[in-house]
Amino acid sequence: MANVDMIGIRKAFGASVALDDFTLNIASGELVCLLGPSGCGKTTALRILAGFEKADRGEVRVEGRDLANEPPEKRLFGMVFQDYSLFPNMTARQNIDFGLKVQKKSATERTSIIDRMIEVTALQEHADKFPHQMSGGQKQRVALARAIATSPRVLLLDEPLSALDAKVRETLRDEIRRLQLEIGVTTVFVTHDQHEALAIADRVGVMSNGRLEQLAPPRELYENPANAFVAGFIGTVNRLAAIGRSDGRWDILGRTVPGNRPAHEFITDVAAIRPEQLAIDPVTDGGASVVSVSFLGPITRVIIEDVQYGRVFADIISADASGLAPGQSVRVRLRDDVGEIVLIGEGE
Amino acid sequence: MSMESVTALAPGHGDPAGPPPIDRGRRGVRPSSFIRWAFLIMVALYFVVPMLAMARFAFQNVPTALLTPEKIFTGWSMSGLWAALTDPQILNAAKTSVLLVVFAIILNLVLLVPLAIVTEVRSPQLRPFLTAFTLLPWVIPPIALVVGVAATFRATVPWFLASVFSLVPFYALWAMPFTYRALDAGLQAISARTLYEAARSMGASLGTIIFRVLLPNMRASMIAASGLTAAMVLGEFAFASLLLKTTLPTQMVTYERSDPRGGLALALFVMLLTALSLGLVVRSLRRRGLNVQTTGL
Repeated sequence: MANVDMIGIRKAFGASVALDDFTLNIASGELVCLLGPSGCGKTTALRILAGFEKADRGEVRVEGRDLANEPPEKRLFGMVFQDYSLFPNMTARQNIDFGLKVQKKSATERTSIIDRMIEVTALQEHADKFPHQMSGGQKQRVALARAIATSPRVLLLDEPLSALDAKVRETLRDEIRRLQLEIGVTTVFVTHDQHEALAIADRVGVMSNGRLEQLAPPRELYENPANAFVAGFIGTVNRLAAIGRSDGRWDILGRTVPGNRPAHEFITDVAAIRPEQLAIDPVTDGGASVVSVSFLGPITRVIIEDVQYGRVFADIISADASGLAPGQSVRVRLRDDVGEIVLIGEGE
Repeated sequence: MSMESVTALAPGHGDPAGPPPIDRGRRGVRPSSFIRWAFLIMVALYFVVPMLAMARFAFQNVPTALLTPEKIFTGWSMSGLWAALTDPQILNAAKTSVLLVVFAIILNLVLLVPLAIVTEVRSPQLRPFLTAFTLLPWVIPPIALVVGVAATFRATVPWFLASVFSLVPFYALWAMPFTYRALDAGLQAISARTLYEAARSMGASLGTIIFRVLLPNMRASMIAASGLTAAMVLGEFAFASLLLKTTLPTQMVTYERSDPRGGLALALFVMLLTALSLGLVVRSLRRRGLNVQTTGL
């Protein structure tokens, strides 16, 4: 258990800059997800933390101590990779034992740790199987057990669920979080899947082009994105023009509402409006028409072409959307319960 | 869900107006398939017909000029092969060749296994260079290699070329392209770099990683490499002949001069034996869940 600080990290591979002035502070016992599209630098950040890559500039500190001269094998970090990385010549049990043997623990201690790891990851039936006899989910559970068996100071997970199918991914995701909370290990989880990140992280760091765009708890990230990139990357968002008023509020979609920053008269800004913040009225003179209606279970996604705002996505409770059909004339408005809007334009 | 995945619901948007996909006909023989099979059969005939002719000549004691349809089942005998197999000179040469196989395999693995491992886990950027470099032995013709080496070593360490085992370094070098590729494919197949990093993050030293993780998982590729080296050494003629050494291939040529039938029978026998043993090795590896990924196996 340890707090981790990455300070002003820069890393370039030839001419391409993977990380630029990257700073990340992680509290002890916290689970931070690094989220971003491929090539955003999230895996590089993890590999620098693990010691597999050397930063061109900047510091990595664990409990305040600089790790610059510590090779990976001295850092006492646990790591789980996307492609399982189990040793094919060893059974699940022997895989878990590997790190314990390296640490020269006594045979009795090793056995008791292995037994506990097998129990917490529910691998009892598979303990003596070889990797090629196990499913992807089972293999990744062994990899997880192996990584935490050595009581690492920090647990690093590099897209651990990306190779698994949807159902297993969800179960294992929750299992990872449960275990992480139970042993309280500081954890960095790299993923490109926003659902994964939002579901399990204490804080999510959204990355693009080697920079940390925003680091915040999942809810804040969704409700109050720092900029256009974060707004667009987390969930679906409509970027709609808001017009400023002299009283500091904004005019948008027929309503006047306060924003996360005050308005001035005659300026326009871009507001990030979530599809679920919109309502649709079936009127003939609303200046908009339905393009498509997709039933998604509890909600229905409606795509609308609005004369003023262009293409707009709206998520409507399915019970309220039963009358909508493509071609129908409608009016789009901001729901009455939306108290404040988030502005993500360049501003002023 | 992102904007992209939503807009993608509208089909045909932004689709380039190309020709419709070719229907790879579900009925009848496709022209491409026909050509493929015809070509395959032609190549097979090209290889098989001479061998069948050779087998007939070796095992049927009827001169080709007198071979008529009614004589097709007469005169078959294994005596030529038996005589060849019990010939003391052939047996001696075979023993030499087997030893050469063993030493060439050992030398090759000792040189190339560490090289392949270190390249893959420590400096993967060198892989393309090594792939090209290990082909060099095949760029130099044996005659040039032998003359160059002989001129150098006869002047400096004459005893080296006196022994039949002076062939070992030549064979190790000659088999290098096969061996390196087999080992490299093996390392790729087990994702050696990820295993290396996983083991390192658990605190293991390079020695521990090589002996406890990488080598045990390279068994399949090392056996594949050895099989290829063995096949190559058992068929190599140029080096041995140029250096005036008696190996199974050179002795077989000598033997064939005195007994063409027995010689050919022996050649066929050695070829079948080599192919069969390679096949058995691969099968046994596959049965144990080890995948052999090498061209030619």
